[in-house]
Amino acid sequence: MSERISKRVSIIKMKKITTVLLIMACLILGSAGEGVQAGALDSFKDEKGVLKIAGGTAHIPVMQEVAKRIMEINPEIQITIAGGGSGVGIKQVGEGLVQIGNSGRKPTDEEIQKYNLKMFQWALDGVGIIVHPDNKVRNLTKAQVIDIFSGKIDNWKLVGGPDKGINVYTRDEASGTREVFWEKALDKGAISPKANFVASNGAMKSAISKDPYGIGYVSVGHIDETVAPVAFDGVLPTLDNVKQGKYTISRGLYSNTKGEPSGLTKKFIDYLFTPEGQKIVESNGFISIK
Amino acid sequence: MINIPEKAAEKLFLLPTVISIAITIGIFGFMLLLGLPLIIRGGHFLNLLAQSWAPGSGLYGIYPMIVGSLSIASLSLVFAFPLSLGCSVLISVVGHEVFGRFLRGVVQLMTGIPTVIYGFVGVFLLVPRIREIFQRGSGMCILSASLMLAVLISPTMILFFTDSFDHVPKSYGQAAEALGASKGQKFLYVTLPCAWRGVLTGLILAGGRALGDTLIALMLAGNAIQIPGSVLDSARTLTSHIALVFAADYESLEFKSIFACGMSLYLLATLLVLGARGLWHRNEGEK
Amino acid sequence: MNRLGEKLLIAFSWISGITLVSVVFFIVGHLIFKGIRAINLKLIFGETRPLDALLLRKQVFHGLFPAMMGTFLLVVLSVGLAAPVGLASGIYLAEYAQGKVRKIVNFFFDILATIPSIVIGLTGFSVAVFLHQHYSKQIYPCLLISSLSLSFLVLPYIIRSTQVSLESLPLNTRLTALALGGTRVQNILYVLVPQSLSGILSGLILAIGRCAEDTAVIMLTGVVATAGLPRSVLAPYEALPFYIYYISSEYSSPEELLTGYGASIILLIICMTLFLFAFIVKRRIIWQTFYHL
Repeated sequence: MSERISKRVSIIKMKKITTVLLIMACLILGSAGEGVQAGALDSFKDEKGVLKIAGGTAHIPVMQEVAKRIMEINPEIQITIAGGGSGVGIKQVGEGLVQIGNSGRKPTDEEIQKYNLKMFQWALDGVGIIVHPDNKVRNLTKAQVIDIFSGKIDNWKLVGGPDKGINVYTRDEASGTREVFWEKALDKGAISPKANFVASNGAMKSAISKDPYGIGYVSVGHIDETVAPVAFDGVLPTLDNVKQGKYTISRGLYSNTKGEPSGLTKKFIDYLFTPEGQKIVESNGFISIK
Repeated sequence: MINIPEKAAEKLFLLPTVISIAITIGIFGFMLLLGLPLIIRGGHFLNLLAQSWAPGSGLYGIYPMIVGSLSIASLSLVFAFPLSLGCSVLISVVGHEVFGRFLRGVVQLMTGIPTVIYGFVGVFLLVPRIREIFQRGSGMCILSASLMLAVLISPTMILFFTDSFDHVPKSYGQAAEALGASKGQKFLYVTLPCAWRGVLTGLILAGGRALGDTLIALMLAGNAIQIPGSVLDSARTLTSHIALVFAADYESLEFKSIFACGMSLYLLATLLVLGARGLWHRNEGEK
Repeated sequence: MNRLGEKLLIAFSWISGITLVSVVFFIVGHLIFKGIRAINLKLIFGETRPLDALLLRKQVFHGLFPAMMGTFLLVVLSVGLAAPVGLASGIYLAEYAQGKVRKIVNFFFDILATIPSIVIGLTGFSVAVFLHQHYSKQIYPCLLISSLSLSFLVLPYIIRSTQVSLESLPLNTRLTALALGGTRVQNILYVLVPQSLSGILSGLILAIGRCAEDTAVIMLTGVVATAGLPRSVLAPYEALPFYIYYISSEYSSPEELLTGYGASIILLIICMTLFLFAFIVKRRIIWQTFYHL
């Protein structure tokens, strides 16, 4: 592994010089040219075909950015990205319906054995509780969270908010985010049957940003100014807190393949681990594993 | 000129027909085949329809979804029926020269508006309003979905109603007029009694559209798996359940449950067709 | 019924009419008001030069081009698959089927027309997974599976429009060729079908509109949020209605939401144009295609 990386680093160095030369050439010619991005992406030039990715929805922004870069370099490659949730990702890659199945939780031993999965963890993430920015509730204890999600506490005034009903939002069984949240925050407690269902991390964020009295949980990487993070037992779900291990509802982001990856699939996963790839990971709000 | 032998030609036209019918039956057969494990496990198919949904305790009944589907569809009919009846009266009975024709045009164009657009506008226009007005829940509820569905199914009803009003023989109306009946009286005592089968058929077909629609309920009803207690509660329809669960683990019973949903929808569709055909054909026969 | 009742009835009908028209205008107006800003070349082609995109030299990112092309391919494939089957079945129903057979065939096509689209999508999905597990690893939900499923969805439209236009031909048109010694097949192929072409055409246009509009079937059978242009019929693809659905729940910025409004306007224009066109071609047939019982 380290050998591969060092090899790549040397390639990158070499390519950097070429890039500088290229940029200079472009400047001199006074045209931006084709915007060639040299570097870790070079290896994709002689690939073609369809790479199918499905599963974890927290992963999607990173996947999209990487896919865009690859398809820009080489239009012969088609990379398709679907959601569905971690369970779907694991199942579909196991059945051979996609080449990469993403999951926001570690595949279980049973799943790894059954499908001969290889997992690649390329980022660290957390699952944060979010509310509408207008909601003044910014701190909840674990006991309160358990009671809110089970439906026992059904009014914001019971936790220091306005006298309004609480609208709980949750994800379906296939969601890795739900799995992690359910295990680490709710201690596997029940989720109220009254809860609204949304299909992805993105959908959770936009649903909460539209509902002043909603509460939900979302990948920390997806939290932005349209929603307000809530401290869990006094710890805010921020990158730093997750990184330092203070925030306990954390998890890795995985890409799984059936057996050892090869060809385009391998190159895609390798790219995630390059400095460029990890920069994409960070710019999307996740914690680089480096 | 090509000369195809008569018998061969008939077979040539028959074959695609048989294929289409085979597919129609095949759809049901396929779902039965794939849903079988759940049916065997849950005992009876009817049992499954009456059981509640609690994957934790091994229950994969689709009763909450059936209630969700039926309540959203029937509430949308409650909204759409008077509205459509009123519009058809305006078009066929009042027959205002300009607005009547304009309305008919709008209604005809409405049949071409994509469902997803109703859903999209509903998410951003209707849901927040419902939440603000009622100050309860998230706004994604049975009421929001049925209001939008009512808009979706109105054209079906209006076109059917006006058509059956127009089919009432002119002489009946003229007879009533000769007796000094007003337009309203003519409608109430002549047209409506003659056209009631058509009106009922339109109602059934519109109900079928409401039950079969996926996108509006999926986008606006909130999708909670519970037996709704009020129109402001979030609910999940049979169609939304399929759309939400289809990607789950194929071997799980949760996944198999969507075939039970599919079969229920198929059977409901068949029942509606039987009902509508029965009504409509008797209607034609009477004339 | 007294005068007051009569007035109430008329007032009620006016209220209903005005309500419906205002609701429709409100919905369409809201879309246009919010989305008109988004309608430009960038909405469709993103940062890519339109010519590069059209010549397939470059992929388009953050633009609707792949979704529009996906919808286009979907329409062509589905209607292409459904048209021959639908035409033949329609001809059979109108010209050959009689008595009990006719009743049974009609009944099944009514069911096919009433089955919710998601059930057809579910069948397409299960067939794809079944084939994948038992026959070929190359098969999974993709453009081809979607097109096949959609073709079943629109089959009733084509069958009905063909049947109804043939049945409504006047008797003397039906008999002329036969009287001149033509065979039944010749009569159908050279007289009856050409005579009812406009009706058949409007049925096809309706089918196109339905393919472009449907979301429930494709979301189960291979449409994905990000795919670029499909490289083969066996690849997943993007489509306009799914894009609208996806954006409505997944948008992460006001700009992205705006593209959803833009996409809605484009889809609305496409469907309205098709529908108007079908109406101009043959008004009466459409009505009976929808509600043949």
